Amino acid sequence: MSNESNVIISIEPWRKPLPNIDKDNEAFFEGLKQHKFLLWRCKKCGANYWPKAFCQNHENEPFAANMDWAESSGRGKIFAFNRHQMVFHPGFKDEVPYCYALIELDEGPLVSSTLVGDRLPKDVYDVGQKVEVVYEDHLVEGFTLPRFRIVD
Amino acid sequence: MPKHPSSGQYAIVGLGVVAGQQPDRSERMIASEAARLAIADAGLTTRDIDGAIDLRRTGGGGDRASYVDAYSRMLGLNNCFYFVVGRGGALAGLGIATALSFLDRGIAKYICLMGAVTDWSQAQESRKAGHRGMAHAEKAGYWGKALGDLRAVSHHSWMAARHMAVYGTTSRQLGAISVAERAWACKNPEAKMYGRPMTIEDHQNSQVVADPYHLLDLSLVSDGGIAFILTTADRAKDRPKPPVYVLGQGFGEVSADLWWEKKNFTHMAVPRAKEQAFGQAGLTLDDVDCCEFYDCFTAEVLFQLEDYGFCKKGEGGPFVESGAIGPGGSIPVNTGGGLLSCYHLGDLTGMAESIRQLRGEAGEHQINDCNVVLTTGHGGELISPGMCSIHTGTLLGRHQ
Repeated sequence: MSNESNVIISIEPWRKPLPNIDKDNEAFFEGLKQHKFLLWRCKKCGANYWPKAFCQNHENEPFAANMDWAESSGRGKIFAFNRHQMVFHPGFKDEVPYCYALIELDEGPLVSSTLVGDRLPKDVYDVGQKVEVVYEDHLVEGFTLPRFRIVD
Repeated sequence: MPKHPSSGQYAIVGLGVVAGQQPDRSERMIASEAARLAIADAGLTTRDIDGAIDLRRTGGGGDRASYVDAYSRMLGLNNCFYFVVGRGGALAGLGIATALSFLDRGIAKYICLMGAVTDWSQAQESRKAGHRGMAHAEKAGYWGKALGDLRAVSHHSWMAARHMAVYGTTSRQLGAISVAERAWACKNPEAKMYGRPMTIEDHQNSQVVADPYHLLDLSLVSDGGIAFILTTADRAKDRPKPPVYVLGQGFGEVSADLWWEKKNFTHMAVPRAKEQAFGQAGLTLDDVDCCEFYDCFTAEVLFQLEDYGFCKKGEGGPFVESGAIGPGGSIPVNTGGGLLSCYHLGDLTGMAESIRQLRGEAGEHQINDCNVVLTTGHGGELISPGMCSIHTGTLLGRHQ
């Protein structure tokens, strides 16, 4: 793995469950590949959603025509996290312990992923740190996963 | 408080339980046996049953019924309709609500509701491939699976973690819930953990699975089946066992707000369910003799104690640490050992225990003069990261 500030490139074969890419989130995963963190945004009121949904603030045009994917800051705060220590799946054998966190994005929605980098919270009471998205490119399989790291 | 006209008009008249590891039996055979036991317990025959409901996890468990595993066919319930009800671990509460509409209109007289699982047996198989826990239960489609969100504990532990961060709750306080339920299980020969007492130090020393959760914060993985027979109050009076009356039911849904509502990580969808159930029954919290709370993990018990109002929000930690929910406590909770220490058959675990308490059949774990039990269910699909879950609250009583 090579590691820049917010990009991790992996050429290792993926031995874990594959990301579930479907009709609703394929644009989101395409955005990740371009190193953009997209949110599903209402063009009328600017409310942000993730995953894809109808805007709850007003009547929607047919099939949420008032909604579109839009680039977000990719920044937020740690809302809660846990530290996995048991190996549930053989693909994670060399990865435990890992911090799996709920991130409250600056735009509002919650998103979850693991924390990467040297700075990790010390215990479950230690929340609220600012984080930003890190793009983990898997070149063999051709997908990108979002991770988060603590920033100042 | 005046009660709703439907309160006390329906009753449970039969109970069948198949407990313990069932490595040589299929789910549908366990299901059929549980139903057979319930029908016999009600003093009925298969010909009397004119409705059969299969209580199945959907969402998290993802189980699906098919024509080959209809227990009604296996058991020869020929005079009968059959269908599936359930959402996550919320099975029995939803099943009762559904069955009442058939009884109410005279479409059916005696409905058999049954749920069965072979989670323990399946976990033994998946263990051979290096997996731990219920590998079969978390289907593809969740957001976090590639990231390591592999089991219910991977996301449910956020609820404990968030409650700890917001209210200062401690792991030892969560452990007190586990200790209290184990004390109850040690009075229940049917419980998996019967004869295996534990202390708070055992909890603290148990393996950390996903910090803050230790192994002893997690519910059991079980095999088994539970069935019960529901009928109208007038018919119930002619049955051999004391009727257990349905006094009130209520339902809540976390997506009533927004399904990524941040409150979902420190609260459960109790308020509306509580208002509906207690309103129908014309009862208050003071009338409840014991609670059978859905306890997939320790924090869910803490949340429900707070959200129903047995203690103030955020004060559940000191409340459980005081011994309030164990034997001899002010509000006995999960008196058979619960999902943590008895067995995990969804909310049917609490339903079976409620029926026994109200019949006076609970043996050494019997609550004195038990008249009203609050039993709950919880569950649903996870559209990660939102905890998108139903809450069901059912009040059962010894008297109409």
